Amino acid sequence: MSSYILRRIIQTMIMIALVSYVCFFLMSLMPGDPIELMLSSNPKMTTADVERLRELYGLNQPATTRYINWVKTIAHGDLGYSRTYRVPVTEIIGARLLNSFILSLIALIFSLAIAIPLGVFSALRPNSKLDTFVSIFSFTGISVPSFWLGLLLILIFAVKLGWLPAGGTETIDAEFSSSWRYFWDRGLYIILPVLSLSLQQIGRFVRFVRSSMRETLQTDFVRTAKAKGLSMHDVIWKHAFRNALIPVITIIALSISTIFSGALLTETVFAYQGVGKLIYDSIMANDYNVAMVSFIISVSMVLIMSLVADLLYGVIDPRISYS
Amino acid sequence: MDHARSMRSMIIEEFFRHKLAVVGLVVIVSLTILALSADLISDWTGIDPNSQNVSARYLEPFTYAEEAADQRENKITEWIKDNPENAKKISAAIVEKQLLNVTVDDALYELVSKNPEEIQKLLKQIDLPEKKSLQTLSKTFSTFHLFGTDEIGRDVAIRLLYGTRVSMGVGVLVALVSALIGFLIGGIAGFYQGIIDTLLMRVTDALLSLPIVPVLIVFAAIDLTKLPGLKSLISGEFESVFKMVILLCLFSWMPVARLVRGSILTLREREFVLAARTLGAKDSTIIFRHLLPNVIATLLVSVTLGVGESILFEAALSFLGLGIMPPTASWGNMLNNAQEVIYKSVWIAILPGLLIWITVVSFNFIGDGLQEAMDPKSVKR
Repeated sequence: MSSYILRRIIQTMIMIALVSYVCFFLMSLMPGDPIELMLSSNPKMTTADVERLRELYGLNQPATTRYINWVKTIAHGDLGYSRTYRVPVTEIIGARLLNSFILSLIALIFSLAIAIPLGVFSALRPNSKLDTFVSIFSFTGISVPSFWLGLLLILIFAVKLGWLPAGGTETIDAEFSSSWRYFWDRGLYIILPVLSLSLQQIGRFVRFVRSSMRETLQTDFVRTAKAKGLSMHDVIWKHAFRNALIPVITIIALSISTIFSGALLTETVFAYQGVGKLIYDSIMANDYNVAMVSFIISVSMVLIMSLVADLLYGVIDPRISYS
Repeated sequence: MDHARSMRSMIIEEFFRHKLAVVGLVVIVSLTILALSADLISDWTGIDPNSQNVSARYLEPFTYAEEAADQRENKITEWIKDNPENAKKISAAIVEKQLLNVTVDDALYELVSKNPEEIQKLLKQIDLPEKKSLQTLSKTFSTFHLFGTDEIGRDVAIRLLYGTRVSMGVGVLVALVSALIGFLIGGIAGFYQGIIDTLLMRVTDALLSLPIVPVLIVFAAIDLTKLPGLKSLISGEFESVFKMVILLCLFSWMPVARLVRGSILTLREREFVLAARTLGAKDSTIIFRHLLPNVIATLLVSVTLGVGESILFEAALSFLGLGIMPPTASWGNMLNNAQEVIYKSVWIAILPGLLIWITVVSFNFIGDGLQEAMDPKSVKR
């Protein structure tokens, strides 16, 4: 077990190192490097100046050397400076990561809260009206483009009905009399993003829960429980349901990266100040330092969280032996 | 006694029993026909997907738009140059009948500056056989917009049609190519096992664990032409389309590879593989001639499901402005500035997304139908 955990941790570390190196290399392929950008804002610079600046910032060294230097500065806690926001990256990224985490977590909990009951009930009555409805619902849910769903929600709830704000994270420049009011305000802003992020996940989870529950209902221990005369309620909820949920944890581990992917789109549509929007905005604004740092940090987070969920699986299901 | 039926006919029959899959198939076939005849429709209606008309922005569905005055003038100048004789005759007729109070030289220009209905009315009063081509020309001055126009006055309906070509084309192409890559990688890993298998599957798992949208965004933002060897491949009008296909293929072969490896692992132990090997077949012969036909059913299902997935990713990237670049229309880039447009015209924001949704649902239903039809457990004989 411990050797398995160790191996998985090492794998994740290698993965993070590789992702950061590839990302660093790709950023050097983006149109326009920092010096070219300086040049465009200050046409008086001579070629000698350009050479000197390249020397100064170490841009004339090979990518690998630059990467190692960059990792060294990161290790010292210096994430660099943002060109567009004019502040050190450390000052922006923390709040953004937290915002994204809140959005993704609420969306995950919400999707599970909807999907588990739907999946279980449709598994209990196969080929019933409910089952057909759930199956069509999950198919349409999987297929909906989440960014467009977001636009639709804005159109209905913000533009036509005016019930909820169309975008943003919180009311700007508002004074809140209590922290409850602040949470209420944040809550209003997060409803639509959560809805648009969840629909696809619900579709996925429902199918998975349904098939897992159907499989469990056909196992020997469920038949035994029925045979010894337990009530249907006990058979379903005490025996089948709890066992059917175990594989669902795997799907949670796998869905972390999907949710983060979806969060980037949702954040962009709703102008929600999360790290996904930060990555997108900084790439669009040629702010490569921010793009690189936020991309690498958030991808590392996703990988680590998936690892944790994966390891938890072994804790919850003692039948799994890692050898 | 019943006739023995072939596997294929059983699968087809089973597939057509899945109502939603049949609906999906009908939708996809009709969309494909429409998309393929986009050029014909464009010629027939006289609407060009890229022609802009600033005076007719954000039109509601089912409205007519008049072409801008300067464009009409250009057209008539062209026409006069092509048919100088006819032009003279008609101009003379206009002045003679005193339909318009102008000189002979200005008659045609004055005529086209009127509104389209009036032009038709005036032309009816002239009884010269030469007016025919002028009449057809004047018909193009007024365009009918089934789904209205977008923010620069382009017809939404025709752009949706051309977008269908691009979006569905990219989706199908990506699904096919990534199925091929997935088959090769999964096949090699499953067939040779050992270190090759471990290595290939590590890469597959690693790529699978990455959040795909941010990764695609980073890759889409880089200037691929800076990479040697790709410059000649990606160029010309459809540069962004090719770039999109390559990018999506790069990151969508992994599920297929896993699937194929799984089936190959069991298949390679079967007697027919042993027989082929005993007869001295090469590895490549075994993989392509003996193993491929056995996994083709699984591949078919994952290709159908993959099309939907690829369409969604293409749409998302184009929506973000990193995918297919205008003027080439795709469903995703038609939604590009939907966030601002939504306040002015609801239709521009709704229609492309609706088409994406319908198409992806249809592909998924077809995939589901195929899967059920091929599953021996579900065959009702």
